[in-house]
Amino acid sequence: MGASNGDKMLIAEIKAGNEVAFEAIVLKYRPKLMSVLIGYTKSRDQAEEICQKTFMRVWQKIDTFKEESSLFTWIYRIGINLAKNEFASSFYKNSKITERLDQEQHDVPQYRSPEIELMAAESESKIMQFIQNLDEDTKTAFSLREIEGRSYDEIAKILDCPIGTVRSRIFRARQLILEFMNQENIFNE
Amino acid sequence: MNKNLEKLSSLYDGELSHHEMQEILKEMDSDKNLRNTFHRFGVISELVQKHSDQQNSKTISLRNYYRKINPVIINMATAAATVFLTLIVLYQFDEDRFQVDRETSLQLSSAISSDQAKLQLLNADQNIMEHMIQIMQSNQSNISQQVAKNWIPVGFSVDPKNPNQYSNGRNNLFFHLENKQLGIKQVKYFKANNNWIYLIPLKDGRLLTAYGDIPPSIADQMIQSIYQRN
Repeated sequence: MGASNGDKMLIAEIKAGNEVAFEAIVLKYRPKLMSVLIGYTKSRDQAEEICQKTFMRVWQKIDTFKEESSLFTWIYRIGINLAKNEFASSFYKNSKITERLDQEQHDVPQYRSPEIELMAAESESKIMQFIQNLDEDTKTAFSLREIEGRSYDEIAKILDCPIGTVRSRIFRARQLILEFMNQENIFNE
Repeated sequence: MNKNLEKLSSLYDGELSHHEMQEILKEMDSDKNLRNTFHRFGVISELVQKHSDQQNSKTISLRNYYRKINPVIINMATAAATVFLTLIVLYQFDEDRFQVDRETSLQLSSAISSDQAKLQLLNADQNIMEHMIQIMQSNQSNISQQVAKNWIPVGFSVDPKNPNQYSNGRNNLFFHLENKQLGIKQVKYFKANNNWIYLIPLKDGRLLTAYGDIPPSIADQMIQSIYQRN
């Protein structure tokens, strides 16, 4: 699968020098990339640094992105390669890093983006509970999108409803979740 | 304002027309709140995808969906992208390496619904993730990898056009052999949308990856056969 249509349009904008489109991509994929990088480096600071470098590289190299993979796959590859380079350059400087590389990861540990790290575990549970309690139509559309990565068109076919309804339901889910998070003061913890 | 937020939500999902995208990008340029909200969509998305408990409700709500679809791998690239976006660790065996038998740990089907089943996202397990993306994006589909005949599930035969693809006319299965095991000591399997990926450490130190729209009920027998004869 190549880049999604939406990302393709944003990519075209970035290639044309649209900085807002680039910022949108950063805002969209930063949390996910940070989770990946923290998982890889086991260091939030190092992950932050590599994340910055990754997006700088994305901005610089976007013209070379051939859209044969999804945009995030490409971003992920850049990020992981930068992380590997970091490890390689510090290989002899820090034995702890080599331990990280060598250790086996049987437990499939969970790593979180800093934004999620800042949330108290209790808040996180509340959010998930809130999502569980969304009405079935809203929750299903949202789950198909967020967890299954389905397009609106696919969701419309699955749920046998117009695309506009899918769009509204997914937005409604996000809006309700944001409102809940604001009510609970979760983003300001 | 709500209209803008709805557009923002659709932008996040990549579902806007070019014209709508241009409009909302202009709005974002001048409205920090919109940019913050867009970022929060990302945080919510990450949180939801990270939260393993979410899978329980998803399984229920998607049950009808899975009944409707006829899973067939269309191409490797699609599968790879699917893996990246939605790969979910459904279960990993906790039994000792290779100490598996018919009665105990290889009951994949029942494992899904067992209390032991742990629903975990794969994002953190980068080695495995990279491995799967790599093999599914690679151009090795036409290179035969000397898959042992007894590994092939009953009723499946090789596709004449692709020596690594096996089919029973309804389901497709691909094999990939790796010389390293990526720290995997037990069978792990993953579900990525319509497809299943089984990582099977072999006694000789290699890792067999089997992937396709083969449900655990079929894979169970295949894996048992591999361990009995491996």
